Amino acid sequence: MNRTILDVDNLHKSFGRSAILNGVSFSVPEGEISAIIGPNGAGKTTLFNVITGLYAPDKGRISFNGRNIAGLQPYQIVPLGIAKAFQITSIFPRLTVWENILAAVITHRKKNLDCVTPLSKLAPIHERAQELLESVGLSDFAHYQSGTLAHGNQKRLDIALSLALSPKLLLLDEPTAGMSPEERRDTVTLIKNLWERLNITMLFIEHDMDIVFGISQKVRVLCYGVLIAEGSPDEISHNPKVIEVYLGEGD
Amino acid sequence: MPSALESYPSTHRSWLIAGTVMAVLTILPFVLGQLGRTGEYWLWVATEMVIMALFSLSLNLILGFGGMVSFGHAAFFGVGAYTVALLMKKGGVGFVPAMAAAPLVSALAAGVIGWFCVRRVGLYFSILTLAFGQLIFMITLQLYGYTGGDDGIHGIPRPVLLTPLSYYLVCLALVAGSYLLMRFLTKSPFGLTIRMTRENPERAKFLGINVKGYQLVNFIIAGGFAGLAGGLFTELNRFAQTEFLHWSKSAEPIFASLVGGMYSLIGPAIGSTVLIFLKIIIQQIHQGLVEIWGIILGVILLGVVLFMPEGIVGVYEKIRARRRRPQ
Repeated sequence: MNRTILDVDNLHKSFGRSAILNGVSFSVPEGEISAIIGPNGAGKTTLFNVITGLYAPDKGRISFNGRNIAGLQPYQIVPLGIAKAFQITSIFPRLTVWENILAAVITHRKKNLDCVTPLSKLAPIHERAQELLESVGLSDFAHYQSGTLAHGNQKRLDIALSLALSPKLLLLDEPTAGMSPEERRDTVTLIKNLWERLNITMLFIEHDMDIVFGISQKVRVLCYGVLIAEGSPDEISHNPKVIEVYLGEGD
Repeated sequence: MPSALESYPSTHRSWLIAGTVMAVLTILPFVLGQLGRTGEYWLWVATEMVIMALFSLSLNLILGFGGMVSFGHAAFFGVGAYTVALLMKKGGVGFVPAMAAAPLVSALAAGVIGWFCVRRVGLYFSILTLAFGQLIFMITLQLYGYTGGDDGIHGIPRPVLLTPLSYYLVCLALVAGSYLLMRFLTKSPFGLTIRMTRENPERAKFLGINVKGYQLVNFIIAGGFAGLAGGLFTELNRFAQTEFLHWSKSAEPIFASLVGGMYSLIGPAIGSTVLIFLKIIIQQIHQGLVEIWGIILGVILLGVVLFMPEGIVGVYEKIRARRRRPQ
Protein backbone atom coordinates (compact mmCIF):
# COMPACT_ATOMS: atom_id res chain seq x y z
CA MET A 1 0.00 0.00 0.00
CA ASN A 2 1.26 3.45 -0.93
CA ARG A 3 1.74 6.12 1.67
CA THR A 4 -1.11 8.54 2.32
CA ILE A 5 -0.97 11.80 0.38
CA LEU A 6 -4.20 13.36 1.62
CA ASP A 7 -5.78 12.74 4.97
CA VAL A 8 -9.11 14.34 5.82
CA ASP A 9 -10.18 13.99 9.41
CA ASN A 10 -13.57 14.83 10.89
CA LEU A 11 -14.23 17.80 8.58
CA HIS A 12 -17.13 20.12 9.41
CA LYS A 13 -18.41 23.08 7.43
CA SER A 14 -21.67 24.98 7.81
CA PHE A 15 -23.10 27.94 5.98
CA GLY A 16 -25.41 29.72 8.35
CA ARG A 17 -27.61 27.03 9.85
CA SER A 18 -27.12 24.39 7.21
CA ALA A 19 -24.34 21.95 7.90
CA ILE A 20 -22.87 20.96 4.55
CA LEU A 21 -20.03 18.79 5.81
CA ASN A 22 -20.76 16.83 8.93
CA GLY A 23 -17.64 15.00 10.00
CA VAL A 24 -16.08 13.71 6.82
CA SER A 25 -13.02 11.51 7.19
CA PHE A 26 -11.04 9.58 4.59
CA SER A 27 -7.52 9.18 3.36
CA VAL A 28 -6.16 8.95 -0.13
CA PRO A 29 -3.06 6.90 -0.91
CA GLU A 30 -0.51 8.39 -3.29
CA GLY A 31 -1.06 7.56 -6.93
CA GLU A 32 -4.72 6.57 -6.59
CA ILE A 33 -7.45 7.62 -8.98
CA SER A 34 -10.74 7.73 -7.15
CA ALA A 35 -14.21 9.15 -7.40
CA ILE A 36 -16.51 10.93 -5.00
CA ILE A 37 -20.16 10.40 -5.77
CA GLY A 38 -23.36 11.38 -4.07
CA PRO A 39 -26.70 13.07 -4.66
CA ASN A 40 -26.95 16.79 -5.38
CA GLY A 41 -26.33 18.84 -2.27
CA ALA A 42 -24.27 16.10 -0.68
CA GLY A 43 -21.41 18.52 -0.12
CA LYS A 44 -19.01 17.24 -2.78
CA THR A 45 -18.06 20.60 -4.25
CA THR A 46 -17.86 22.14 -0.77
CA LEU A 47 -15.48 19.36 0.22
CA PHE A 48 -13.22 20.31 -2.71
CA ASN A 49 -13.49 23.98 -1.84
CA VAL A 50 -12.47 23.31 1.74
CA ILE A 51 -9.53 21.14 0.68
CA THR A 52 -8.26 23.83 -1.70
CA GLY A 53 -8.72 26.62 0.84
CA LEU A 54 -11.58 28.62 -0.67
CA TYR A 55 -13.43 28.05 2.61
CA ALA A 56 -11.83 27.38 5.96
CA PRO A 57 -13.34 24.35 7.72
CA ASP A 58 -15.23 24.98 10.97
CA LYS A 59 -13.63 21.95 12.50
CA GLY A 60 -11.35 19.13 11.48
CA ARG A 61 -7.95 18.51 9.98
CA ILE A 62 -6.76 18.24 6.42
CA SER A 63 -3.25 16.99 6.06
CA PHE A 64 -1.46 16.95 2.75
CA ASN A 65 1.83 15.10 2.70
CA GLY A 66 1.79 15.23 6.48
CA ARG A 67 1.25 18.97 6.72
CA ASN A 68 -1.96 20.44 8.11
CA ILE A 69 -3.39 22.75 5.48
CA ALA A 70 -6.81 23.43 7.01
CA GLY A 71 -7.47 27.17 7.05
CA LEU A 72 -4.70 28.17 4.63
CA GLN A 73 -5.50 30.37 1.62
CA PRO A 74 -5.65 28.89 -1.91
CA TYR A 75 -2.49 30.73 -2.93
CA GLN A 76 -0.71 29.04 -0.03
CA ILE A 77 -2.16 25.59 -0.67
CA VAL A 78 -1.78 25.45 -4.45
CA PRO A 79 2.03 25.73 -4.47
CA LEU A 80 2.20 22.72 -2.13
CA GLY A 81 0.88 20.59 -4.98
CA ILE A 82 -2.90 20.60 -4.97
CA ALA A 83 -4.67 21.79 -8.11
CA LYS A 84 -8.31 21.94 -9.00
CA ALA A 85 -10.06 21.85 -12.36
CA PHE A 86 -13.42 23.50 -12.08
CA GLN A 87 -16.93 22.07 -12.45
CA ILE A 88 -17.91 24.95 -14.67
CA THR A 89 -14.97 25.30 -16.99
CA SER A 90 -12.86 28.10 -15.65
CA ILE A 91 -10.31 29.66 -17.95
CA PHE A 92 -9.31 33.20 -18.95
CA PRO A 93 -11.76 33.61 -21.83
CA ARG A 94 -10.45 36.79 -23.44
CA LEU A 95 -6.86 35.58 -23.45
CA THR A 96 -5.58 33.22 -26.12
CA VAL A 97 -5.02 29.55 -25.33
CA TRP A 98 -1.29 30.25 -25.43
CA GLU A 99 -1.57 33.17 -22.97
CA ASN A 100 -3.68 31.01 -20.65
CA ILE A 101 -0.99 28.36 -20.50
CA LEU A 102 1.83 30.88 -20.24
CA ALA A 103 0.04 32.51 -17.31
CA ALA A 104 -0.23 29.20 -15.49
CA VAL A 105 3.41 28.24 -16.10
CA ILE A 106 4.61 31.71 -15.08
CA THR A 107 2.61 31.37 -11.89
CA HIS A 108 3.99 27.93 -11.15
CA ARG A 109 7.54 29.21 -11.62
CA LYS A 110 6.79 32.26 -9.46
CA LYS A 111 7.75 34.75 -12.14
CA ASN A 112 4.63 36.91 -11.70
CA LEU A 113 6.52 39.90 -10.36
CA ASP A 114 8.81 40.13 -13.39
CA CYS A 115 7.87 43.53 -14.83
CA VAL A 116 10.50 43.88 -17.53
CA THR A 117 11.01 40.72 -19.55
CA PRO A 118 8.69 40.65 -22.58
CA LEU A 119 6.48 37.56 -22.67
CA SER A 120 7.96 36.68 -26.04
CA LYS A 121 11.41 36.25 -24.49
CA LEU A 122 10.70 33.54 -21.92
CA ALA A 123 12.15 30.53 -23.69
CA PRO A 124 12.09 27.94 -20.85
CA ILE A 125 8.49 28.87 -20.09
CA HIS A 126 7.54 28.56 -23.76
CA GLU A 127 8.99 25.06 -23.85
CA ARG A 128 6.94 23.92 -20.89
CA ALA A 129 3.81 25.60 -22.27
CA GLN A 130 4.24 23.84 -25.60
CA GLU A 131 4.64 20.52 -23.83
CA LEU A 132 1.44 21.10 -21.84
CA LEU A 133 -0.55 22.05 -24.93
CA GLU A 134 0.58 18.85 -26.59
CA SER A 135 -0.27 16.73 -23.58
CA VAL A 136 -3.92 17.84 -23.74
CA GLY A 137 -4.03 17.97 -27.54
CA LEU A 138 -4.53 21.71 -27.99
CA SER A 139 -1.40 22.61 -29.97
CA ASP A 140 -3.41 23.53 -33.05
CA PHE A 141 -5.51 25.99 -31.07
CA ALA A 142 -2.70 27.94 -29.41
CA HIS A 143 -3.61 31.28 -30.97
CA TYR A 144 -7.37 31.01 -30.65
CA GLN A 145 -9.09 33.22 -28.14
CA SER A 146 -9.82 30.59 -25.51
CA GLY A 147 -13.44 31.66 -24.93
CA THR A 148 -14.28 30.73 -28.53
CA LEU A 149 -13.21 27.08 -28.21
CA ALA A 150 -15.70 24.20 -28.10
CA HIS A 151 -16.66 23.14 -24.62
CA GLY A 152 -14.60 19.95 -24.65
CA ASN A 153 -11.50 21.89 -25.65
CA GLN A 154 -12.12 24.51 -22.98
CA LYS A 155 -12.19 21.69 -20.45
CA ARG A 156 -8.90 20.41 -21.82
CA LEU A 157 -7.45 23.87 -21.37
CA ASP A 158 -8.80 24.02 -17.82
CA ILE A 159 -7.09 20.71 -17.07
CA ALA A 160 -3.88 21.91 -18.73
CA LEU A 161 -3.90 25.00 -16.49
CA SER A 162 -4.01 22.73 -13.47
CA LEU A 163 -1.32 20.43 -14.89
CA ALA A 164 0.96 23.44 -15.39
CA LEU A 165 1.29 23.52 -11.62
CA SER A 166 2.84 20.01 -11.66
CA PRO A 167 0.39 19.02 -8.95
CA LYS A 168 0.79 15.95 -6.80
CA LEU A 169 -2.95 15.86 -6.25
CA LEU A 170 -5.46 16.94 -8.87
CA LEU A 171 -9.07 17.54 -7.93
CA LEU A 172 -11.50 17.37 -10.84
CA ASP A 173 -14.97 18.67 -10.16
CA GLU A 174 -17.32 16.95 -12.61
CA PRO A 175 -14.87 16.94 -15.49
CA THR A 176 -17.50 15.91 -18.02
CA ALA A 177 -20.48 17.99 -16.90
CA GLY A 178 -22.54 19.38 -19.76
CA MET A 179 -20.61 17.59 -22.49
CA SER A 180 -21.82 15.68 -25.51
CA PRO A 181 -21.30 11.90 -25.26
CA GLU A 182 -18.41 12.11 -27.67
CA GLU A 183 -16.63 14.92 -25.79
CA ARG A 184 -17.28 12.97 -22.63
CA ARG A 185 -15.54 9.87 -23.94
CA ASP A 186 -12.56 11.92 -25.13
CA THR A 187 -12.22 13.71 -21.81
CA VAL A 188 -12.33 10.49 -19.82
CA THR A 189 -9.68 8.96 -22.07
CA LEU A 190 -7.57 12.08 -21.58
CA ILE A 191 -7.89 11.92 -17.80
CA LYS A 192 -7.03 8.25 -17.74
CA ASN A 193 -4.01 8.81 -19.99
CA LEU A 194 -2.75 11.72 -17.91
CA TRP A 195 -3.12 9.67 -14.75
CA GLU A 196 -1.16 6.78 -16.21
CA ARG A 197 1.54 8.99 -17.66
CA LEU A 198 2.09 11.67 -15.05
CA ASN A 199 1.82 9.73 -11.81
CA ILE A 200 -0.60 12.21 -10.25
CA THR A 201 -3.07 11.33 -7.54
CA MET A 202 -6.51 12.17 -8.88
CA LEU A 203 -9.74 12.69 -7.05
CA PHE A 204 -12.83 13.50 -9.07
CA ILE A 205 -16.49 14.21 -8.55
CA GLU A 206 -18.73 12.62 -11.13
CA HIS A 207 -22.35 11.77 -11.74
CA ASP A 208 -21.93 9.49 -14.73
CA MET A 209 -21.65 6.01 -13.24
CA ASP A 210 -20.11 4.53 -16.38
CA ILE A 211 -17.20 6.90 -15.95
CA VAL A 212 -17.00 6.38 -12.20
CA PHE A 213 -16.94 2.63 -12.41
CA GLY A 214 -14.85 2.68 -15.55
CA ILE A 215 -11.75 4.50 -14.36
CA SER A 216 -11.69 4.76 -10.58
CA GLN A 217 -9.83 2.42 -8.29
CA LYS A 218 -11.89 3.47 -5.35
CA VAL A 219 -15.26 5.16 -4.91
CA ARG A 220 -16.39 7.20 -1.93
CA VAL A 221 -20.03 8.05 -1.41
CA LEU A 222 -20.97 11.33 0.25
CA CYS A 223 -24.52 11.88 1.42
CA TYR A 224 -25.70 14.99 3.28
CA GLY A 225 -22.26 15.79 4.59
CA VAL A 226 -21.38 12.30 5.73
CA LEU A 227 -19.30 9.64 4.03
CA ILE A 228 -21.58 6.61 3.92
CA ALA A 229 -19.47 4.15 1.97
CA GLU A 230 -15.99 3.66 0.59
CA GLY A 231 -14.69 0.80 -1.52
CA SER A 232 -13.86 -0.62 -4.91
CA PRO A 233 -16.32 0.09 -7.72
CA ASP A 234 -17.57 -3.43 -7.44
CA GLU A 235 -18.21 -3.19 -3.70
CA ILE A 236 -19.94 0.16 -4.08
CA SER A 237 -22.24 -0.97 -6.87
CA HIS A 238 -23.48 -3.80 -4.64
CA ASN A 239 -23.65 -1.85 -1.40
CA PRO A 240 -27.33 -1.83 -0.35
CA LYS A 241 -27.09 1.50 1.46
CA VAL A 242 -25.60 3.19 -1.59
CA ILE A 243 -28.21 1.67 -3.85
CA GLU A 244 -30.92 2.96 -1.60
CA VAL A 245 -29.79 6.58 -1.29
CA TYR A 246 -28.13 7.13 -4.59
CA LEU A 247 -27.84 4.52 -7.29
CA GLY A 248 -31.48 3.49 -7.15
CA GLU A 249 -33.00 0.05 -7.71
CA GLY A 250 -33.46 0.15 -11.45
CA ASP A 251 -29.85 0.90 -12.32
CA MET B 1 -12.33 40.48 -32.47
CA PRO B 2 -10.21 40.52 -29.33
CA SER B 3 -10.45 43.94 -27.82
CA ALA B 4 -8.00 43.75 -24.97
CA LEU B 5 -4.98 46.00 -25.18
CA GLU B 6 -2.56 43.12 -25.18
CA SER B 7 -3.98 41.76 -28.41
CA TYR B 8 -2.53 44.49 -30.58
CA PRO B 9 0.65 43.07 -31.96
CA SER B 10 3.64 45.32 -31.78
CA THR B 11 4.36 45.78 -35.43
CA HIS B 12 6.79 47.98 -37.31
CA ARG B 13 3.78 50.05 -38.19
CA SER B 14 3.00 50.91 -34.58
CA TRP B 15 6.63 51.92 -33.97
CA LEU B 16 6.47 54.10 -37.05
CA ILE B 17 3.34 55.81 -35.76
CA ALA B 18 4.86 56.25 -32.30
CA GLY B 19 8.03 57.73 -33.81
CA THR B 20 6.07 60.16 -35.97
CA VAL B 21 3.92 61.30 -33.04
CA MET B 22 6.99 61.86 -30.88
CA ALA B 23 8.68 63.82 -33.67
CA VAL B 24 5.64 66.06 -34.14
CA LEU B 25 5.30 66.61 -30.38
CA THR B 26 8.97 67.52 -30.15
CA ILE B 27 8.87 69.99 -33.04
CA LEU B 28 5.53 71.46 -31.93
CA PRO B 29 6.84 73.96 -29.33
CA PHE B 30 9.34 75.39 -31.82
CA VAL B 31 6.50 76.04 -34.26
CA LEU B 32 4.38 77.54 -31.49
CA GLY B 33 7.34 79.74 -30.57
CA GLN B 34 6.87 81.60 -33.86
CA LEU B 35 3.29 82.55 -33.00
CA GLY B 36 3.85 85.13 -30.26
CA ARG B 37 1.32 85.32 -27.41
CA THR B 38 -1.05 82.79 -28.94
CA GLY B 39 1.87 80.43 -29.27
CA GLU B 40 2.78 80.86 -25.59
CA TYR B 41 -0.78 80.06 -24.59
CA TRP B 42 -0.89 76.95 -26.77
CA LEU B 43 2.47 75.80 -25.44
CA TRP B 44 1.00 75.95 -21.97
CA VAL B 45 -2.03 73.98 -23.18
CA ALA B 46 0.20 71.42 -24.86
CA THR B 47 2.14 70.94 -21.62
CA GLU B 48 -1.10 70.43 -19.72
CA MET B 49 -2.24 67.91 -22.32
CA VAL B 50 0.97 65.91 -21.98
CA ILE B 51 0.71 65.87 -18.18
CA MET B 52 -2.99 64.98 -18.10
CA ALA B 53 -2.32 62.21 -20.62
CA LEU B 54 -0.02 60.64 -18.01
CA PHE B 55 -2.71 61.00 -15.34
CA SER B 56 -5.21 59.18 -17.57
CA LEU B 57 -2.70 56.50 -18.54
CA SER B 58 -1.98 55.87 -14.86
CA LEU B 59 -5.65 55.41 -13.99
CA ASN B 60 -6.13 53.03 -16.87
CA LEU B 61 -3.65 50.59 -15.30
CA ILE B 62 -6.40 50.07 -12.71
CA LEU B 63 -9.43 50.59 -14.97
CA GLY B 64 -8.90 49.00 -18.38
CA PHE B 65 -5.96 46.83 -17.50
CA GLY B 66 -6.90 45.71 -14.00
CA GLY B 67 -10.65 45.80 -14.55
CA MET B 68 -11.40 47.81 -11.41
CA VAL B 69 -13.13 51.19 -11.28
CA SER B 70 -11.41 53.66 -8.96
CA PHE B 71 -13.20 56.90 -8.09
CA GLY B 72 -10.35 58.10 -5.94
CA HIS B 73 -7.43 58.40 -8.30
CA ALA B 74 -7.20 62.17 -7.89
CA ALA B 75 -5.97 61.55 -4.35
CA PHE B 76 -2.65 60.32 -5.74
CA PHE B 77 -2.49 63.12 -8.30
CA GLY B 78 -3.08 65.56 -5.46
CA VAL B 79 -0.61 63.93 -3.08
CA GLY B 80 2.04 64.22 -5.80
CA ALA B 81 1.06 67.85 -6.37
CA TYR B 82 1.26 68.77 -2.69
CA THR B 83 4.49 66.84 -2.25
CA VAL B 84 6.15 69.00 -4.91
CA ALA B 85 4.49 72.17 -3.61
CA LEU B 86 5.51 71.61 0.01
CA LEU B 87 9.03 70.42 -0.75
CA MET B 88 9.80 73.25 -3.17
CA LYS B 89 7.97 76.11 -1.50
CA LYS B 90 8.37 75.27 2.18
CA GLY B 91 11.24 72.78 2.20
CA GLY B 92 13.48 74.62 -0.22
CA VAL B 93 14.12 71.39 -2.07
CA GLY B 94 15.22 71.53 -5.71
CA PHE B 95 13.09 70.64 -8.71
CA VAL B 96 14.64 67.26 -9.46
CA PRO B 97 14.47 65.71 -5.97
CA ALA B 98 10.98 67.15 -5.45
CA MET B 99 9.79 65.66 -8.71
CA ALA B 100 11.40 62.34 -7.80
CA ALA B 101 9.67 62.37 -4.41
CA ALA B 102 6.19 62.95 -5.87
CA PRO B 103 5.67 59.45 -7.33
CA LEU B 104 7.23 57.84 -4.27
CA VAL B 105 5.00 59.62 -1.77
CA SER B 106 1.94 58.95 -3.93
CA ALA B 107 2.88 55.29 -4.26
CA LEU B 108 3.16 55.13 -0.48
CA ALA B 109 -0.29 56.69 -0.11
CA ALA B 110 -1.62 54.24 -2.71
CA GLY B 111 -0.08 51.40 -0.73
CA VAL B 112 -1.93 52.39 2.44
CA ILE B 113 -5.26 53.19 0.76
CA GLY B 114 -5.04 50.28 -1.66
CA TRP B 115 -4.39 47.84 1.15
CA PHE B 116 -7.94 48.51 2.35
CA CYS B 117 -9.61 48.96 -1.03
CA VAL B 118 -8.50 45.73 -2.76
CA ARG B 119 -10.08 43.79 0.07
CA ARG B 120 -13.42 44.48 -1.59
CA VAL B 121 -14.50 43.86 -5.16
CA GLY B 122 -16.75 45.60 -7.66
CA LEU B 123 -18.88 48.46 -6.44
CA TYR B 124 -17.52 48.19 -2.89
CA PHE B 125 -13.98 48.66 -4.16
CA SER B 126 -15.11 51.75 -6.07
CA ILE B 127 -16.91 53.24 -3.08
CA LEU B 128 -13.90 52.65 -0.84
CA THR B 129 -11.61 54.46 -3.29
CA LEU B 130 -14.10 57.31 -3.38
CA ALA B 131 -14.27 57.48 0.42
CA PHE B 132 -10.50 57.43 0.88
CA GLY B 133 -10.07 59.98 -1.89
CA GLN B 134 -12.47 62.37 -0.16
CA LEU B 135 -10.78 61.66 3.18
CA ILE B 136 -7.45 62.85 1.77
CA PHE B 137 -9.25 65.86 0.28
CA MET B 138 -10.77 66.76 3.66
CA ILE B 139 -7.48 66.32 5.49
CA THR B 140 -5.73 68.60 3.00
CA LEU B 141 -8.49 71.16 3.38
CA GLN B 142 -8.25 71.12 7.18
CA LEU B 143 -4.47 71.20 7.59
CA TYR B 144 -4.44 74.93 6.96
CA GLY B 145 -1.02 75.48 8.50
CA TYR B 146 0.70 73.25 5.99
CA THR B 147 -1.54 73.25 2.93
CA GLY B 148 -3.16 76.66 3.07
CA GLY B 149 -6.54 74.95 3.12
CA ASP B 150 -8.88 76.38 0.53
CA ASP B 151 -6.28 78.85 -0.72
CA GLY B 152 -3.78 76.19 -1.67
CA ILE B 153 -0.06 76.80 -2.04
CA HIS B 154 0.99 79.48 -4.47
CA GLY B 155 4.24 80.81 -5.84
CA ILE B 156 6.09 77.55 -6.24
CA PRO B 157 9.63 78.37 -7.35
CA ARG B 158 10.56 77.83 -10.97
CA PRO B 159 14.21 76.93 -11.67
CA VAL B 160 15.83 79.41 -14.08
CA LEU B 161 16.58 76.72 -16.60
CA LEU B 162 12.92 75.86 -16.96
CA THR B 163 11.51 78.12 -19.62
CA PRO B 164 8.02 77.22 -20.83
CA LEU B 165 9.70 75.54 -23.79
CA SER B 166 12.17 73.44 -21.81
CA TYR B 167 9.52 72.57 -19.25
CA TYR B 168 7.31 71.25 -22.03
CA LEU B 169 10.20 69.10 -23.27
CA VAL B 170 10.94 67.81 -19.76
CA CYS B 171 7.28 66.81 -19.32
CA LEU B 172 7.17 65.22 -22.76
CA ALA B 173 10.29 63.16 -22.02
CA LEU B 174 9.01 62.02 -18.61
CA VAL B 175 5.57 61.14 -19.94
CA ALA B 176 6.95 59.30 -22.96
CA GLY B 177 9.32 57.44 -20.63
CA SER B 178 6.42 56.55 -18.31
CA TYR B 179 4.43 55.33 -21.31
CA LEU B 180 7.28 53.06 -22.36
CA LEU B 181 7.55 51.69 -18.81
CA MET B 182 3.82 50.94 -18.81
CA ARG B 183 4.17 49.28 -22.18
CA PHE B 184 6.88 47.01 -20.81
CA LEU B 185 4.78 46.36 -17.75
CA THR B 186 1.69 45.30 -19.69
CA LYS B 187 3.68 42.92 -21.86
CA SER B 188 5.59 41.33 -18.99
CA PRO B 189 4.70 38.34 -16.80
CA PHE B 190 3.41 40.83 -14.24
CA GLY B 191 1.12 42.27 -16.90
CA LEU B 192 -0.20 38.85 -17.78
CA THR B 193 -0.79 38.19 -14.09
CA ILE B 194 -2.89 41.36 -13.77
CA ARG B 195 -4.88 40.31 -16.84
CA MET B 196 -5.53 36.95 -15.15
CA THR B 197 -6.90 38.69 -12.08
CA ARG B 198 -9.11 40.82 -14.33
CA GLU B 199 -10.40 37.97 -16.49
CA ASN B 200 -11.06 35.36 -13.83
CA PRO B 201 -9.91 36.11 -10.28
CA GLU B 202 -11.22 32.82 -8.96
CA ARG B 203 -9.24 30.76 -11.46
CA ALA B 204 -6.17 32.90 -10.79
CA LYS B 205 -6.57 32.13 -7.10
CA PHE B 206 -6.60 28.41 -7.81
CA LEU B 207 -3.46 28.67 -9.87
CA GLY B 208 -1.82 29.94 -6.72
CA ILE B 209 -2.03 33.70 -7.32
CA ASN B 210 -2.42 36.02 -4.38
CA VAL B 211 -5.02 38.03 -6.30
CA LYS B 212 -5.37 40.90 -3.84
CA GLY B 213 -1.62 41.17 -3.47
CA TYR B 214 -1.11 41.68 -7.19
CA GLN B 215 -4.04 44.07 -7.41
CA LEU B 216 -2.43 46.08 -4.64
CA VAL B 217 0.92 46.21 -6.45
CA ASN B 218 -0.87 47.39 -9.60
CA PHE B 219 -2.74 50.01 -7.57
CA ILE B 220 0.54 51.27 -6.10
CA ILE B 221 2.20 51.53 -9.52
CA ALA B 222 -0.80 53.44 -10.88
CA GLY B 223 -0.72 55.74 -7.84
CA GLY B 224 2.98 56.43 -8.41
CA PHE B 225 2.46 57.50 -12.02
CA ALA B 226 -0.49 59.69 -10.96
CA GLY B 227 1.78 61.32 -8.38
CA LEU B 228 4.32 62.18 -11.05
CA ALA B 229 1.54 63.73 -13.14
CA GLY B 230 0.35 65.74 -10.12
CA GLY B 231 3.86 66.99 -9.42
CA LEU B 232 4.42 68.08 -13.01
CA PHE B 233 1.02 69.79 -13.10
CA THR B 234 1.80 71.75 -9.94
CA GLU B 235 5.09 73.03 -11.33
CA LEU B 236 3.32 74.00 -14.56
CA ASN B 237 0.75 76.10 -12.72
CA ARG B 238 3.13 77.02 -9.89
CA PHE B 239 0.38 76.32 -7.40
CA ALA B 240 -1.32 73.38 -5.73
CA GLN B 241 -4.93 73.51 -4.61
CA THR B 242 -7.44 71.16 -3.03
CA GLU B 243 -9.35 70.93 -6.31
CA PHE B 244 -6.57 68.61 -7.51
CA LEU B 245 -7.69 66.06 -4.91
CA HIS B 246 -11.41 66.40 -5.31
CA TRP B 247 -13.40 63.40 -6.49
CA SER B 248 -14.54 65.31 -9.57
CA LYS B 249 -10.87 65.32 -10.61
CA SER B 250 -10.95 61.51 -10.38
CA ALA B 251 -13.65 61.47 -13.02
CA GLU B 252 -11.46 63.18 -15.63
CA PRO B 253 -9.21 60.18 -16.38
CA ILE B 254 -12.24 57.88 -16.34
CA PHE B 255 -13.93 60.01 -19.02
CA ALA B 256 -10.66 60.23 -20.94
CA SER B 257 -10.28 56.44 -20.87
CA LEU B 258 -13.86 55.98 -22.08
CA VAL B 259 -13.46 58.44 -24.94
CA GLY B 260 -10.01 57.23 -25.97
CA GLY B 261 -10.59 53.52 -25.42
CA MET B 262 -9.72 51.85 -22.16
CA TYR B 263 -8.76 48.54 -23.74
CA SER B 264 -5.78 50.01 -25.46
CA LEU B 265 -2.69 51.29 -23.74
CA ILE B 266 -2.56 54.65 -25.57
CA GLY B 267 -6.34 55.21 -25.67
CA PRO B 268 -6.66 57.18 -22.40
CA ALA B 269 -3.90 59.58 -23.48
CA ILE B 270 -5.72 60.23 -26.76
CA GLY B 271 -9.04 60.67 -24.95
CA SER B 272 -7.56 63.08 -22.45
CA THR B 273 -5.96 65.19 -25.20
CA VAL B 274 -9.15 65.28 -27.26
CA LEU B 275 -11.27 66.36 -24.28
CA ILE B 276 -8.90 69.14 -23.22
CA PHE B 277 -8.67 70.35 -26.81
CA LEU B 278 -12.46 70.35 -27.19
CA LYS B 279 -12.95 72.27 -24.00
CA ILE B 280 -10.52 74.96 -25.10
CA ILE B 281 -11.99 75.20 -28.59
CA ILE B 282 -15.44 75.62 -27.11
CA GLN B 283 -14.10 78.31 -24.83
CA GLN B 284 -12.58 80.11 -27.83
CA ILE B 285 -15.86 80.01 -29.72
CA HIS B 286 -17.76 81.62 -26.90
CA GLN B 287 -16.70 82.20 -23.31
CA GLY B 288 -20.23 81.44 -22.10
CA LEU B 289 -20.10 77.94 -23.52
CA VAL B 290 -17.72 76.90 -20.73
CA GLU B 291 -20.68 77.22 -18.39
CA ILE B 292 -22.38 74.34 -20.16
CA TRP B 293 -19.21 72.24 -20.62
CA GLY B 294 -20.76 69.66 -18.29
CA ILE B 295 -23.69 69.24 -20.65
CA ILE B 296 -21.48 69.01 -23.72
CA LEU B 297 -19.27 66.44 -22.00
CA GLY B 298 -22.37 64.49 -21.00
CA VAL B 299 -23.56 64.31 -24.59
CA ILE B 300 -20.11 63.23 -25.79
CA LEU B 301 -19.94 60.47 -23.17
CA LEU B 302 -23.44 59.33 -24.01
CA GLY B 303 -22.47 59.02 -27.65
CA VAL B 304 -19.26 57.20 -26.85
CA VAL B 305 -20.86 54.68 -24.52
CA LEU B 306 -23.76 53.98 -26.87
CA PHE B 307 -22.06 54.02 -30.26
CA MET B 308 -18.35 53.48 -29.75
CA PRO B 309 -17.84 51.64 -26.46
CA GLU B 310 -14.22 50.91 -27.31
CA GLY B 311 -13.49 54.59 -27.82
CA ILE B 312 -11.46 56.32 -30.49
CA VAL B 313 -8.87 53.55 -30.65
CA GLY B 314 -11.64 50.99 -31.06
CA VAL B 315 -13.05 52.91 -34.02
CA TYR B 316 -9.59 53.22 -35.55
CA GLU B 317 -9.02 49.47 -35.20
CA LYS B 318 -12.38 48.73 -36.78
CA ILE B 319 -11.68 50.95 -39.78
CA ARG B 320 -8.30 49.32 -40.24
CA ALA B 321 -9.78 45.83 -40.04
CA ARG B 322 -12.44 46.78 -42.60
CA ARG B 323 -9.90 48.24 -44.96
CA ARG B 324 -7.74 45.14 -44.82
CA ARG B 325 -10.54 42.68 -45.52
CA PRO B 326 -11.48 43.48 -49.15
CA GLN B 327 -7.93 42.99 -50.39
